Amino acid sequence: MSDTDPREVEGKRLLGIVPGQPATGERKVPEEQDLVTVWPHLLVRHAVVGVAVLLFVLILGILFDAPLREVANPFETPNPEKAPWYFAALQELLSHFHPLVAGVLVPGAVIVGMIALPYIDRNPAARPALRKVAVVVFTSFLVVWILLTLIGFAFRGENWGWVWPWDEWHGEL
Amino acid sequence: MKLRETNVGRSIFRSPDRKTERDRAAGHWSSFLLHIYPVKVRREELHFRYSWYLGVASTVLLASLVVSGVYLMFFYVPSPTTAYGDMQTIQTEVAFGQFIRNVHRWSAHLMVITVAAHMARVFYRGAYKPPREFNWVIGVFLLILTLLLSFTGYLLPWDQLAYWAVTVGTSMADFVPFIGGSAREVLVGGDQVGAATLIRFYVLHVALLPLIMVAFLLVHLWRWRKDAMLDQERPGMGLGPHAGEEGGVGAPPGSGKQGGGE
Repeated sequence: MSDTDPREVEGKRLLGIVPGQPATGERKVPEEQDLVTVWPHLLVRHAVVGVAVLLFVLILGILFDAPLREVANPFETPNPEKAPWYFAALQELLSHFHPLVAGVLVPGAVIVGMIALPYIDRNPAARPALRKVAVVVFTSFLVVWILLTLIGFAFRGENWGWVWPWDEWHGEL
Repeated sequence: MKLRETNVGRSIFRSPDRKTERDRAAGHWSSFLLHIYPVKVRREELHFRYSWYLGVASTVLLASLVVSGVYLMFFYVPSPTTAYGDMQTIQTEVAFGQFIRNVHRWSAHLMVITVAAHMARVFYRGAYKPPREFNWVIGVFLLILTLLLSFTGYLLPWDQLAYWAVTVGTSMADFVPFIGGSAREVLVGGDQVGAATLIRFYVLHVALLPLIMVAFLLVHLWRWRKDAMLDQERPGMGLGPHAGEEGGVGAPPGSGKQGGGE
């Protein structure tokens, strides 16, 4: 670079280039464990998620009406008699096992197991690869529960008999 | 001139200058609305994949349920002679009645899903591990409360769907040994679902359970805020994504070799 030919960089005259580190030190690469302020980083995201969830529910409310059947009648039992969908897994279990097992022992064990989980699983690892037993047990439970819920909700018809939901629909929300 | 730079604004916001990150943190710290949030979080918490934002989604759905539920309360009397008629009035005559009822119903169903999914996400994240065990326990209670709120609300329309779903649901209590029968009678208020059941479920649904829910939720959020910066402050607590790996961030000293077992 000659003295007679000064270059301009962002409006400043460039006098020379010095090799080496920048005077302010290396630019820090942000790490995942670094702290960032909640405002604005997290709050903006929460606001977007909140508005999105709300919009989703409002659109559902415009598109689909909540069901309202005939007035309650204690003398006319519908067939099938269905509990709300989140109890469909329990109802499905009740059709296979003694009520003491399906209605008391299983739900009791699930609740106690969930509460006790962090006190039973003392493995400090967070990555799934290092906690295979916990992940396999929990995933199996989750899959079985979702399947039972689906079956009880959509695949059961009159007298709790098996139906295909595309043939006849008995699910109620 | 900005509001927060005036005398009145200063008295409300306390921290008028928001020039540096420290100013903003001070402003955050002195804000009532922001006090349920920590001032800082770890960068990884910002990503969608970290939490899928299911906790926020559940909280927003709860807010939507409170607002729509209060609106419906103005037009609903919990008695077998009036309840069903009130439902019809809400759907046909009340301004936005059908729409608000739909929003209440779909928010309730969705909240059961998001709360359960939140729990599953927390499990796979390993975020229930020490020292966060107790917040997981509170979370289990919040899931149970969500189910109870949904179930008690299910009866209120007093149609065939509501009546028989609750009959099936409450009959399960009969199978609990020793206390089952009396527990069912306390809940139902008699042999079969009737006027006593409706008023009991109504009080549980609009007063008692929401209060308990909010109390548990506040403790849940408070605990979350306290623990939000844990990884940085207490690297020995083993919550980082590399916890359990040799020399990983968040690994307790010397834990690398024990990390593989359950």
